[in-house]
Amino acid sequence: MVDRNDTPEEDGGFANRFAEAYRLTPSPGPETRERLLRSVRQAKMPRRDGWFVWWVEPAWTLSPLAVSVVAAIAMGLGFGMAWRGTPAPARAPAASSAGAEAERVMEFVLVAPGVTNVALVGDFNGWDPRATPMRRVRSSDTWTVTLSLARGRHVYAFVVDGERWLTDPGAPLAPEDGFGQRSSVIVVGGTGT
Amino acid sequence: MSDAELIASVLAGHSDAFDALVDRYYEACARFSVRMLGNRQDAEDAMQEAFLRAYRSLARYQERDAFRPWLFRILVNQCRTLARRRTRRELRFVSNPDALLHAKDEKEDAFDVRDALQNALSALEPILKEALLLKYGEGLDYREMAAATGASVPALKMRVKRACDAMRPRLEAMLNG
Repeated sequence: MVDRNDTPEEDGGFANRFAEAYRLTPSPGPETRERLLRSVRQAKMPRRDGWFVWWVEPAWTLSPLAVSVVAAIAMGLGFGMAWRGTPAPARAPAASSAGAEAERVMEFVLVAPGVTNVALVGDFNGWDPRATPMRRVRSSDTWTVTLSLARGRHVYAFVVDGERWLTDPGAPLAPEDGFGQRSSVIVVGGTGT
Repeated sequence: MSDAELIASVLAGHSDAFDALVDRYYEACARFSVRMLGNRQDAEDAMQEAFLRAYRSLARYQERDAFRPWLFRILVNQCRTLARRRTRRELRFVSNPDALLHAKDEKEDAFDVRDALQNALSALEPILKEALLLKYGEGLDYREMAAATGASVPALKMRVKRACDAMRPRLEAMLNG
């Protein structure tokens, strides 16, 4: 269990003695495992394929495309560790005429120089970076995607070049999610949308 | 089946496949959370919440990441959260002298783990204890530890060294006593 090659600076004797003592830690009883599995079974099943249904199901219809609300983000990205804050113009929110429809059409815009691909991820697409790729606008640094979101609170983030997660600097942050990653919050149909 | 295959199976709709993942990591998570938190009730809460969060978030799991450090990251965060809550609870409690006078022994109610190893560990700073348990308790390598804790590899090496320096005499005393 103790990887000596990984820890040449440490005393292997101490490590082994500690590991032996640690292994004697008493386990919770089987009832704890059963309780855990029961709570898991009651939870909503995780899915990664929701967006395929979204696109190929012809019966799915949007509410009238009356609204285009822009969550605009001005952000400059640099290579490496540095961020370059080069603000870009944000599109102003358009007037809403969607009324009480259950869904609203939203456009997300990210300005990110020097990147090769951007995806929108959130609770609406199972946090799948392949689900909602953003489209580059005419060889510019601007990336955009339009999608329909149910009214209510959504949590989202951007994935840049397949690995870097960004929050929206213009939106409130969601509580830390337990994975060390932060996300942004948008309330569809609420203030500002 | 590998972890990745089990996860793919869960995501394909076979929720029972998650049972195998629980069985595979249950003991390790239980040991870690008990030793981190020092009492069984909090440890069970942390573990239960960690597995539940992992299940709900499987769609966010990326195959290029190993499942074990990913799961431990969730568990580490749960333990940190519970430890913070407990600290706040105890601080509030202590700030109320009347409540303190009439309180039962909270530790007795909380199923504290009272053994020599826990006594030795309890004197460690939480981040040192966390690093020591992951490294020499669960055998994670430093890269996995970095993924699990969010700390850098050099910082983790320093924490492990400090934890070892502090623990060595205590462990010797414990084993010889």
